[in-house]
Amino acid sequence: MNGTIPAPTIEYALLAPMLVVFGAAIIGVLVEAFAPRYLRSAIHKPLTLLTLAGAFVITIWQARTGIPTTPSAMGAVAVDGPALFIWGTILVLAFVSVLLINDEGHFVASAAAVPGSAEEERALTEGATHTEVYPLVLFAVGGMLLFPAANDLLAMFVALEVMSLPLYLLCGLARRRRLLSQEAAVKYFLLGAFSSAFFLYGTALLYGYAGSVDLAKINTALGSVGGQDTLLYIGVAMLGVGLLFKIGAAPFQAWKPDVYQGSPTPITALMASGTLVAAFGALLRVFWVALGGLEWSWTPIMWGVAILTMVVGAILAITQTDIKRMLAYSSIAHGGFLLIGVVALGNNQQQNASALSALLFYLVAYGFTTVGAFAVVTTVRDAGGEAWHLSRWAGLGKRRPLVAVVFSLFLLAFAGIPLTSGFFGKYAVFQAAVAAGATPLVVVGVVSSAIAAFFYVRVIVLMFFSDPAADGPSVVIPGGTWAVGAVAVLATVVLGVFPQPVLDLAHTAAQSLFVR
Amino acid sequence: MTSQVPDLWPPSAQEVVFLLLGVVALGSALLVVTTRQLVHAALWLVVCFGALAGGYLVLTAEFVAWVQVLIYVGAIVVLLLFGIMLTRAPIGRSAGLDSGNRVTAATVAVGTAAVLVTVVVQGFATAYTPLEPGGGAAATLGASIFRSWVLPFEALSVLLLAALIGAIVLSRTDIRPANPAADAGGPAAPTTPPHPPDPAPPPADGSGATAGETGSGRVSRDGG
Amino acid sequence: MNGYFSSYLTVAVLLAIGLAVVSGALLVNRLLRPHRPTPEKLLTYECGVDPVGEGWAQSQVRYYVFTYLYVVFAVDAVFLFPWATIFAAPGFGVATLVEMFVFLAFIALGILYAWRKRVLTWT
Repeated sequence: MNGTIPAPTIEYALLAPMLVVFGAAIIGVLVEAFAPRYLRSAIHKPLTLLTLAGAFVITIWQARTGIPTTPSAMGAVAVDGPALFIWGTILVLAFVSVLLINDEGHFVASAAAVPGSAEEERALTEGATHTEVYPLVLFAVGGMLLFPAANDLLAMFVALEVMSLPLYLLCGLARRRRLLSQEAAVKYFLLGAFSSAFFLYGTALLYGYAGSVDLAKINTALGSVGGQDTLLYIGVAMLGVGLLFKIGAAPFQAWKPDVYQGSPTPITALMASGTLVAAFGALLRVFWVALGGLEWSWTPIMWGVAILTMVVGAILAITQTDIKRMLAYSSIAHGGFLLIGVVALGNNQQQNASALSALLFYLVAYGFTTVGAFAVVTTVRDAGGEAWHLSRWAGLGKRRPLVAVVFSLFLLAFAGIPLTSGFFGKYAVFQAAVAAGATPLVVVGVVSSAIAAFFYVRVIVLMFFSDPAADGPSVVIPGGTWAVGAVAVLATVVLGVFPQPVLDLAHTAAQSLFVR
Repeated sequence: MTSQVPDLWPPSAQEVVFLLLGVVALGSALLVVTTRQLVHAALWLVVCFGALAGGYLVLTAEFVAWVQVLIYVGAIVVLLLFGIMLTRAPIGRSAGLDSGNRVTAATVAVGTAAVLVTVVVQGFATAYTPLEPGGGAAATLGASIFRSWVLPFEALSVLLLAALIGAIVLSRTDIRPANPAADAGGPAAPTTPPHPPDPAPPPADGSGATAGETGSGRVSRDGG
Repeated sequence: MNGYFSSYLTVAVLLAIGLAVVSGALLVNRLLRPHRPTPEKLLTYECGVDPVGEGWAQSQVRYYVFTYLYVVFAVDAVFLFPWATIFAAPGFGVATLVEMFVFLAFIALGILYAWRKRVLTWT
């Protein structure tokens, strides 16, 4: 502590997208505190959208002006090719999710009012709204940006909490089926807190092993520290539990159906797309950078997890009658497919780069498709809210063919039918896995895709070949939702027919792999 | 860090105190999960945290010890107690605390404890560091926080802010001001532009369901 | 080394003496007083009239919110302590000062929000 220690350097330009999002969230809180009620929504909506768009532009500009090769912010953040690609993906997906949020009527009027009480009645008649949703979403998105870019386990843990806490809250703010929503929030919170505890314990054990929480230093310690294998393996296992929970991999997938079902659907869209992308970025960074040298130990376990996840997701989705739960199980299955790409780590840098680029492309394709699917789910409404039971969707193709066709497109993309983005995503990931010698995984992947296709096609058949109920649901498409649907359809079709530009972009991003 | 490992017997005074504190922590933790009275569980938790703080003190991590007392004992246990008081959980023995999975829970707990103890013992059996006071003082920690951990530190403030906002969203009931004319929160209700109260689908079809919606649909909100 | 442990030993002894005094007083009281309970004596005291209702009332959420605010500011204080010991040291310049003020500003924003939402009023 003498006078020659320099001040810490923070590369603000590199961190700008994150700082912009957090800054806008702070401004959102100020708006909440000071703006009169009738103005709040009018300020939040453009502010949030402009922030996300601006952060995206900054990310693009950063990617074009040069990707750094060393970690930034005193080693806490690594802004490299994959991180920038993931940032761009998260920001676009968050943008379309916020477009969904902008449409009225998804969020509760007064969260503190007991469901069914006079207070709730009063809040509804007064037209109260919780516009705090916007700054909370921005906080969550900021955390999603920091999580895959964190270069040491402590920053990653803080980012995990910043990402998750607002989401725990947002899950409980659904307007309809409030008790279910609050239950979803409590479940997500309890299980999420538990998994964060596992993550932290694993971090502590790995720190004990390696003497540092920095990812690159852990990797060096893998080669130099000897005789501490128990510490290492248990630490890695616990860390893995924390990360796999976030992805929704079996056997840690139990939260996903309940949380997706209970949350307001725009928040489900945000979670299904943004959280998944961020969590995979973090998982890749931890397992490829910090634990790359330990590959022979964790790859078999990851095989098992991937197989279990794919099978559980595909099979359990067949029995679901709630459309959001079905989409949640499908999301679990897709997590399994993505895990196939994670195990495709080899010794050859070219092979790793192609696996990474395949994963990045799949994340983009899946993100758009899932946001689109949930957007369609918000439009099909019964008297009491969204028509959640599958039987209510019968005959939708006859009454509102466009909506049914759009939803079918998304379901076919989930199934991986050619000419949709899902096909190229799966193809790229499976190809990378075969090149890395994980052919059995690919076989299981194809089989579970076929099983999953069953329930996707079942919904399509239900929509087009069944008769609608006499008092069937109506379809209400507000402006924002229409835009989201259009963007998602465009993305799914374009990425399915003409995927090369995005594949090349992913390849360029993945080329330099992760910064160490 | 590893230097000449002294013999385990005779134990030094610090080791004895640490062991005793560990026993207290373990015992009170067991009592937390086995007691039948909810408030007693929270109070045993205080003892457990206090013992942990004592353990940190023995290991010369002064600052962490006082943070433990300040945050865990001072804030978190109080939160727990207030949380208990907010629910209808009664004082005294409550029958519903036992989920009936004692055997499974005990097995899992013992298994986890065995794994963790094995890990720590195997990992650190030959590691020995002499305790130098001053390493855990506030100044040393401050130097490293504001040097190498600045970004996580600032991210923590964002986390605290988000948590604060969220807690207030979930618990704030709109407290009516005493004087409606002096409403600081915004114009009174009549002048707010009419938000569509619900996105109730315009009844193009289905008569019975929608007719009942506007009346009774408001109050009983939960079909599920 | 011995100075460190002996100073904390002093703290521990002080705690022990405090505990001993309080529990000793209560113990002596318990030993010395007569103990002849009757049903009327064991009733809950409610200002001299017969007690009505249960002894348990559900508390209100505003107490919880104050505790919650305390937690957030306690964590804030936890970071202020180490900062206070080092920010004037040579080598830590204005940067450290600004960092802490940014941290405080973010959290002050939270309390500002709470104030504006009338959470801090005691109705």
